[in-house]
Amino acid sequence: MLKTKIDMDKKEEILKLANKYRWELGENLHDSILESIYSDASNITNKVVSKIGEKPKFDWDRLIDKLVTGKLTGFPIMFLLLALVFWLTISGANYPSQFLSWILIDNVHHYLKMFSQFLSFPNWLSGLLIDGAYLATAWVVSVMLPPMAIFFPLFTLLEDFGYLPRVAFNLDFLYKKVGAHGKQALTMSMGFGCNAAGVVATRIIDSPRERLIAIITNNFSLCNGRWPTQILIATIFIGGAVPNYLAGIASSAAVVFIALLGVSFSFIVSLFLSKTLLKGEVSSFSLELPPYRPPRILQTIYTSLIDRTLIVLWRAVVFAAPAGIIIWLVANISINNISLAEYFINWVNPFGLLIGLNGVIILAYVIAIPANEIVIPTILMLTVLTNNITGFGSGAGVMFELDSVQQTEYLLRNSGWSLLTGINLMLFSLLHNPCSTTIFSIYKETKSVKWTLISTFLPIVLGILICFLVASVWNMI
Amino acid sequence: MKANMKDINKNCETCPAHNLSNLVKLGVDMTHFDFVVALAGNPNVGKSTVFNSLTGLKQHTGNWPGKTVGRAEGAFQYNNKRYKIVDLPGTYSLLSTSVDEEIARDFILFGQPDVTVIVVDASRLERNLNLTLQVLEITDRVVLCLNLIDEAERHNLKIDDRLLSKELGIPVVKCSARQGLGIPDLLSSIHKVATKEFICKPYRMTNTSKKISNAIDDINKKLKEQFPNLANTRWIALRLLEGDQNIIDAIKSGEIGKLSFVENEN
Amino acid sequence: MYKLKLSIRFISAIEKKYKSMIYLLITIIVLLIGIIIYSEFTKKQKINNQKILIEDSLKHIYDCEHRNTDCTNFSLSGSLSLSKEKTSKIIDLLIEKKLINVIGNKFRLTSEGKNYALQVIRIHRLWEKYLAEKTSVGENEWHTIAEIEEHNTSIEKANKLAAQLGNPFLDPHGDPIPNENGEIIYNETLTLNQVKINSIVKVEHIEDEPKETYKKLFNNGIYIGTILKVKNVLNEKIIIEVNGKELSLSISEADNINVSIVSEVNYENVIPLSSLKIDESAVISFLSNGIRGQQRRRLLDLGIVPNTIITARMKSLNDDPTAYEVRGTLIALRKNQSDLIFVKKNES
Repeated sequence: MLKTKIDMDKKEEILKLANKYRWELGENLHDSILESIYSDASNITNKVVSKIGEKPKFDWDRLIDKLVTGKLTGFPIMFLLLALVFWLTISGANYPSQFLSWILIDNVHHYLKMFSQFLSFPNWLSGLLIDGAYLATAWVVSVMLPPMAIFFPLFTLLEDFGYLPRVAFNLDFLYKKVGAHGKQALTMSMGFGCNAAGVVATRIIDSPRERLIAIITNNFSLCNGRWPTQILIATIFIGGAVPNYLAGIASSAAVVFIALLGVSFSFIVSLFLSKTLLKGEVSSFSLELPPYRPPRILQTIYTSLIDRTLIVLWRAVVFAAPAGIIIWLVANISINNISLAEYFINWVNPFGLLIGLNGVIILAYVIAIPANEIVIPTILMLTVLTNNITGFGSGAGVMFELDSVQQTEYLLRNSGWSLLTGINLMLFSLLHNPCSTTIFSIYKETKSVKWTLISTFLPIVLGILICFLVASVWNMI
Repeated sequence: MKANMKDINKNCETCPAHNLSNLVKLGVDMTHFDFVVALAGNPNVGKSTVFNSLTGLKQHTGNWPGKTVGRAEGAFQYNNKRYKIVDLPGTYSLLSTSVDEEIARDFILFGQPDVTVIVVDASRLERNLNLTLQVLEITDRVVLCLNLIDEAERHNLKIDDRLLSKELGIPVVKCSARQGLGIPDLLSSIHKVATKEFICKPYRMTNTSKKISNAIDDINKKLKEQFPNLANTRWIALRLLEGDQNIIDAIKSGEIGKLSFVENEN
Repeated sequence: MYKLKLSIRFISAIEKKYKSMIYLLITIIVLLIGIIIYSEFTKKQKINNQKILIEDSLKHIYDCEHRNTDCTNFSLSGSLSLSKEKTSKIIDLLIEKKLINVIGNKFRLTSEGKNYALQVIRIHRLWEKYLAEKTSVGENEWHTIAEIEEHNTSIEKANKLAAQLGNPFLDPHGDPIPNENGEIIYNETLTLNQVKINSIVKVEHIEDEPKETYKKLFNNGIYIGTILKVKNVLNEKIIIEVNGKELSLSISEADNINVSIVSEVNYENVIPLSSLKIDESAVISFLSNGIRGQQRRRLLDLGIVPNTIITARMKSLNDDPTAYEVRGTLIALRKNQSDLIFVKKNES
């Protein structure tokens, strides 16, 4: 007992002594310790490192830096490279996507159905598993995998080479104005591939405040899963609203406009956050520009496939399969001969119309939270279901897409869709809650329910407001 | 051991450069290990690449400061000893208050790894020595991995690794993990330090001002009286001067006395 | 056919539910606004008025005792901006709670009262330190926020705050922070008026009132730890050189600054890092104390420490940030940072 008392006293004594010295040494202890460590480091380095030969005649790193951050060359190079990446992704993903969809949706799905009939599965079971879970998963895989498998390796190559920090360096002045970090330019670009990956990529931002801004605004980058919706709807409604010879230009301009609108929203919301919610959070800036390193192409493709593509795909699949089941169930469980989906659609339809959409779209966005890729197939299935149109699709709860844009247009226009519905669907597709994979990633990265909820609801509230405004103005005119 | 080294070389005449016959990459199978190895280093020095070539895992690596967040673990087997390897978050320093640095600092101090491997960027040695010198204050079983040596050579830098090893008092291995060069040497150095075949005599800070070193010495003396088994009392003293609550708590609870490092007389 | 059926359904749906939907929307919005207002309201309500008055009076009395001046009913009512009657009530309460003794018309803190006062001061200064180091809250808001939080923070929370900050012993104004046991140590310093011409001094403390003076000082980059040189004393004015500029202070302004004499920092001919032209090199002299907390640590960790050679390498498209080469690494700094790092150009 006495011994422990003496022990305690001695420990206290040590702490007291330390405190006494802290007073004597003053506040700049940390500074002087680092200064002395660095002076040791410098001494040792001078002893062991020597430059051999003449100074290299030509410093490649300096030359590349001059080009990619130059006043005349910086921006063109940046736009060309990013445009190249996007072009390769969108055009290159088309064929493998069609191929995957032909295999997984046209053939395998068909054979699975036959096989289940052969084993005489009850209808509900084959519906639940094959039309629900399998089809949703297959859809996500065939739409999501090819663009990601192209986009991420390309992006990673630029990253490995050391170019991306220079982009952050070039664009920092824009982000500084809205209280964010230049590196947000990169997480935003990454978001054009996949928001979940963009959210994970915010790890490169080491200041917590700026990182939160980057996480919350990442959803305003129009991700791969949303491009097809935009292109389809723009082709039908925007292209259809102008003379034929302008259709192509008008619809692509509309898609680009939506993407740029997303970029401006990310700036506006960043500014808003840094003036309000994130005002007090700690802020610091440091950006290291690493030396250029020759990228290792094969290894990069391999690791980025494994690390980014497959992990994101896996998360999407985990969420898509249950969603498929739910989609099938709401379309097939009926009370008084009216399915759950119809009940919900009828109930929510007035609200949908109020914001220039309709009940089908809202239900589709509710049950297609796991992945934006299945929004269009779900909308088509639900439209057919609620309007009792025959001749399209293959039954309640079975998602489908139509072979031609004309057929889709015929179906949608005949279900009461107008130009306003098209415009607002494009807006809503940009401004709605992140997909569940992204929400999950946000939670994993922030470890905070509060910020996860804010990142989830901020865009959807914005989306509803904007759609409501557009619809009101539209109805007035 | 010398015979052993020869064997490695012999085997390697017939096998791909980095495919050591004595190295069994165990990935995440971390059962029954004999030694714990901590992997520390600045961000963006290829630490993850070194981790991957030792364990056979495929963590993503990129030319970005601060890729790995949190702690990754893996395992490998070398010379019939099983090693667990912990990849610490990349940090520039161990003296600050950020979460990453706390993880790295506390693991090296309280986790008591048998060997700490510091991966440095050979082309920017001076900057990287900051962390190295700090780690040497905490633990004396350290291997320095001079990674990206090919980059340094590309910039016409020549590094005298023997002199560096003498200066720092720890094994120094030239490496290019991306090309798998130097990994065999790194493994044998880790093995030597873990089995105490190589006794490190780590460099300790010399340039601190008189006022600071007096304070450290004084607290150091008191700490040694109270916790005779404690090896890195100088570091503990320094942390007390910085007001580190983890250390204060560990002293109050006496837990710090349990960290009985086997110190080498030097 | 479909079209007709559909539009009939839609119209009837609108008639039935359109109104209720609008009501629903409005209700939700009103509810949200209500919740926000309610939470703000309760936050303010939670701060018990009486507790605040007690704690503020203790602080005032402690301050008097520390400055060796006498506290009276009058000075207290002034400091709390309360009427005389209300002040008397508070004093009665303090006596009843055995926090003060009254001798004549002067107050003395009891040891209990002193402990309580020191605790409130500890929490206040910890909060100021926290705001300065761990948040981006502006310098002129620290005091105001700390004034509110000092009444709202439990001792346990204060200890956690201290641990998180590495148990600081000075607040950002240079005032000592009492420790857990209520012990406080005061440094002996001079005011700027007491310093001889041509001496180089380090700012140890800046009085945070009056606000105008405080604002003037920090607008000119004078912080705790700032190094400055007293150049001349002329017509009741003190001319100092700080951050490479000359500044004149009135006697009363100079009285608000406490300093200690330093000689080791060479303060001649320093210029801000931001004034370096591309490919120009210089040696770092010091980092202003306007760079603090995480920001300062990160810069030091990156090797931006005194006596290091630094070279401006390239400017971004908009001239900000600029990339500097330090110890073989390119590091981009924004102008508001490089303004606060001071360097000396090589003569050679």
